[in-house]
Amino acid sequence: MAPKQKAGQKPKPNAAEEVEETFQAVVLADTFETRFEPFTRDKPRCLLPLANTPLIEYTLEFLANAGVEEVFLYAGAHSDQLEKYINASKWRALSSPFKQFTFLKSTSTSVGDVMRDLDGKHLITGDFIVVSGDVISNLPIEGALAEHRARRALDKNAIMTMVLREAGLEHRTKSTSVSPIFVIDPTKDRCLHYEEINRHPDEEQLSRLNIDAEIILKNPELDIRQDLIDCSIDICTPDVLSLWSDSFDYQSPRKHYLFGVLKDYELNGKTLHTYIIKDHYAARVRNLKAYDAISKDILSRWTYPLCPDTNLLPGHTYTLRKGSMYQETGVTLARSCVIGRRTVIGKGTSIGDRAEVHNSVLGRNCKIGRNVKLDGAYVWDDVVIGDNTDVRGAIIADGVVIGKNCAIAAGALLSYGVKIADNIWVESGKRITKTRNDGGVGKNDPAVVGEEGEGYEFIHGEEDEDEDDDMSVASSGLVYRMPNLSLSSASISTLSSEVSNTSWARSERSSFSADEDADNFHHDASVSLFDSLREGVAADVVQLELVTLRMSANASDNQVRRAIVTSFMKHIQQLMEGGKGAGPAVNGVFTAYKEVVERTLFDRNKEQKKDQVDLLLSLQQDLIHRNKGDTVLLFTAKSLYELDLIEEEAYDQWWNDERSSNSEEMRAVRSQTQQFVDWLAEAEEESSEEESEEESDDE
Amino acid sequence: MPPSLALTPGLGSFLKCLKTNPIDTSIETLISLLKRRQIRHSRSCATATAYLLRSVISACRTTDSAKLIERVQSVGRRLMAAQPREMVVGNIVRRVLGLIRDEAEDDRDAEFALSDIGSESQPQTPRAYDDPSLPLDRDSPSFRSEERSSRPALTSMFSLLSHPEPEHSLPSTPGSSSPSGRLPGHGPSKDVRAEVLEGIGEIIDELGQVDDQIAAYALDHIHSNEIILTHTSSTTVQKFLLKAAAKRKFTVIHAESYPNNHEATHATVSGSAVSDDDNLGVEAFQKPLIEHGITVILIPDSAVFALMSRVNKVILGTHSVLANGGLVAAAGTRVIARAAKVHQTPVVVVSGVYKLSPVYPFDFDSLIEYGDPSMVLPYEEGDLVDLVDVQNPIYDYVPAELVDLYITNLGGHAPSYLYRIVSDHYRKEDISF
Repeated sequence: MAPKQKAGQKPKPNAAEEVEETFQAVVLADTFETRFEPFTRDKPRCLLPLANTPLIEYTLEFLANAGVEEVFLYAGAHSDQLEKYINASKWRALSSPFKQFTFLKSTSTSVGDVMRDLDGKHLITGDFIVVSGDVISNLPIEGALAEHRARRALDKNAIMTMVLREAGLEHRTKSTSVSPIFVIDPTKDRCLHYEEINRHPDEEQLSRLNIDAEIILKNPELDIRQDLIDCSIDICTPDVLSLWSDSFDYQSPRKHYLFGVLKDYELNGKTLHTYIIKDHYAARVRNLKAYDAISKDILSRWTYPLCPDTNLLPGHTYTLRKGSMYQETGVTLARSCVIGRRTVIGKGTSIGDRAEVHNSVLGRNCKIGRNVKLDGAYVWDDVVIGDNTDVRGAIIADGVVIGKNCAIAAGALLSYGVKIADNIWVESGKRITKTRNDGGVGKNDPAVVGEEGEGYEFIHGEEDEDEDDDMSVASSGLVYRMPNLSLSSASISTLSSEVSNTSWARSERSSFSADEDADNFHHDASVSLFDSLREGVAADVVQLELVTLRMSANASDNQVRRAIVTSFMKHIQQLMEGGKGAGPAVNGVFTAYKEVVERTLFDRNKEQKKDQVDLLLSLQQDLIHRNKGDTVLLFTAKSLYELDLIEEEAYDQWWNDERSSNSEEMRAVRSQTQQFVDWLAEAEEESSEEESEEESDDE
Repeated sequence: MPPSLALTPGLGSFLKCLKTNPIDTSIETLISLLKRRQIRHSRSCATATAYLLRSVISACRTTDSAKLIERVQSVGRRLMAAQPREMVVGNIVRRVLGLIRDEAEDDRDAEFALSDIGSESQPQTPRAYDDPSLPLDRDSPSFRSEERSSRPALTSMFSLLSHPEPEHSLPSTPGSSSPSGRLPGHGPSKDVRAEVLEGIGEIIDELGQVDDQIAAYALDHIHSNEIILTHTSSTTVQKFLLKAAAKRKFTVIHAESYPNNHEATHATVSGSAVSDDDNLGVEAFQKPLIEHGITVILIPDSAVFALMSRVNKVILGTHSVLANGGLVAAAGTRVIARAAKVHQTPVVVVSGVYKLSPVYPFDFDSLIEYGDPSMVLPYEEGDLVDLVDVQNPIYDYVPAELVDLYITNLGGHAPSYLYRIVSDHYRKEDISF
């Protein structure tokens, strides 16, 4: 109620003057995501051009529009480039709409770090807006702000208002992979619960929303909404920062912070609110798919007045022609070329005879050859495209040269300075780059770019063996038309956020810390398992303990198997030193804890026995350093076979696996087992009744 | 305890900061406000431009008129580039340029002791005759007349030929109120700048009063028991109708002008309009038409044609008027004008002279601004947004032949006569600067 009254009585400039406080905004220029690789290797993400205007311009324009007076810009990767750009821009000029513009560099690796850093600096004096550096919006913020302030006046604990744009069920600007779900109490606009679920769940994990029963019991009215575009415009009070500081492990503003604060409502008593807008435009260029969608939105003027013909940057001279065609002065068009609807063409670009351009954005000083067909292409500055080339739905960065008679399929990304030779076909979804992760120039790959080309195929997470990465690659693809490619991704999962930074130093550190994690797990798990074995704890208890450890360290199955092997072998060796024979010792341990081992093998019904081979390899590796390792290996192999833990095929595959025989020690350890394997091979041919007799003979 | 509202930038905040900020900052601010469309509507743009130019000139510490002209031109060019479709910006810049030139020539006249007789003999002001209560628009003719006397000395053969024409066409109107009183004050040492500033002050006054001046003609055009059709929430039209409503009873049919202006129109009709700060508050009229006992019928735009046969007169507001008599007005105007033509209903356009632009519309499309398509199709309709091209033109171009009469603060004019007013208000050298 209160905000409405305020809106009615607002136009009293004198009254407003008296109570006016500086309105501050924090811009997170780096969102610590890898969605824009490989382009972000050369340029910070917020300087990537969207309809020929750098992303950050839209965000700052939005803030200027909202009447923000003080801006803190947090730069992440490539902060020097960003700083140079900002210093030269109109935002730093005397005439800037912002009274103060502070450029902050930080070594943060997540949004959480930035917020905690900000809290430490004590720069924020009152309510402020947090936006990421890729927000496009023409929303006048005053409505949300008035509501926020009114609510805050009544209740000190209402610390944050999130601006959300309503959109239908299916919308091109919405993220297709992960959909945020807001549970809102519509009477108070209070957000009660937040969760991100995968839109395309894997077979194993169905997407589920877990709402606390208490929320349902307590609130007579609930909106569970999945149709909202989260444009990450938050109006915050300084308390928000202190909450960030309190929870040092929060990294992402939504997945961790929002989720966490809502969860801990009982503890902190803070409430978070939503402001849902039904008109005006608000969206975030969160990935390349959104880049595509928002470019389209801009060209069809949904973002009005933030359209190319507004000429946000000084020096731009775009004018609108009929059919959403934007052209700058100084464009050279051949007489016979066809410029279709929804196109933007920058200054100095020339288009050759019979070329066709539709739904495309062309930067400045591009040379488009004859008979070229561009459809849905995003061509940045200084690009040369040879005759008869066909480009569809691709992003082509600054300075790319594409030869004649090439075809660039949908979803291809050509990064800065790549050269494609003549007659090359670039497949759909391929990413070609020149710059390596460390900033150096990578080796050219003639298979990808042709003999005279420059660049190599970019494979996501080259330096990391992170499983999450494949997912995020898929989701960041421009090719949203293919549902299988736009699968899902952990948006800012811990790991991907760490590797997101394009600077070499950081990713090195992240891989290091991942190793450290693994080491910790291995150590903890094997020690605790060994203790349990020694004390003779029951198998199910051991199993439970192992699972807990695995969960907390997020360890892989491979690590678990290694831990099991180490502890079991240690225990067996201890038994043997205590005077027990190798055979009974091995048999006893494995029989007692069969279940534990069994739970780590998942390839029972598969052709390739990867897990079983892996277990055997770990065994072999471990036994190198132990007394009588060869004997123990033989007995272990036998007892695993008897217990039906490992199948014949697995032994076969293991024996033939080159890893099991690639070093002197490995061969020495397995020498004794030779007879067992030979016997197995023979046994396959013979009838099964004879097996047991043969076995006893062997012993 | 009212929480302070951060003032969203607009005309109000611009005028406020104009006083405190250095001039270059103000120019940039206005440019970005125009770009961001935070100052829109002709009058707001015109007011902002006039105030800005006043500060520009007062900040310019030269008395050399050539330098002043250069300065104003450079500022003007940037403002016009910022929002080429707000033609009033250009209009105001041109008028200020004209002012400077006039003053400069005045000086020269005085030096050469050219008599004032020339100016006295050319009181080409039909408006002065129509409305003697206007102190402000008299000054432009006065400059004009002086300039005219001196012009043969500096302009080309072409203007030599073109000049006598206005002078001859005008004497039919008695120049009763020619401002001869101004001229004696012009000494050879007078400050060009001060004069220009005064002139700009008068332009600003004109912007403030223009609606009332236009409304003064209302009783000549609206008669009892007429049915008037109008469109959009234009304050000029509303004041015009209100003035007539004080004396006469008539019926108003109001087309709602969906989708860009329907909310404002509804508010206007029902009288719930809040004076928005863009109009500086003073423009808010207290009572809607219905309180004066006028029947107002709000109709959707689609019903215009059906009702046109009953309408006696169409009164339209406009965004800007072009030199050929055509106009750029809110989308939907052309349909109404067209329907009126079919039914032979007179179409009257009310517009301040400041909206009259010397631009000749060679390319109509370039004059039309396309707005936010979400007004037409909600953005939530994801499927449609993806597949359909939605366009939302904010303006319509109405050709001159569909308009029967223009009423400006100078009086009523036929569309074919507008070129005269243009040449009265803007100097040839400024038309395309």
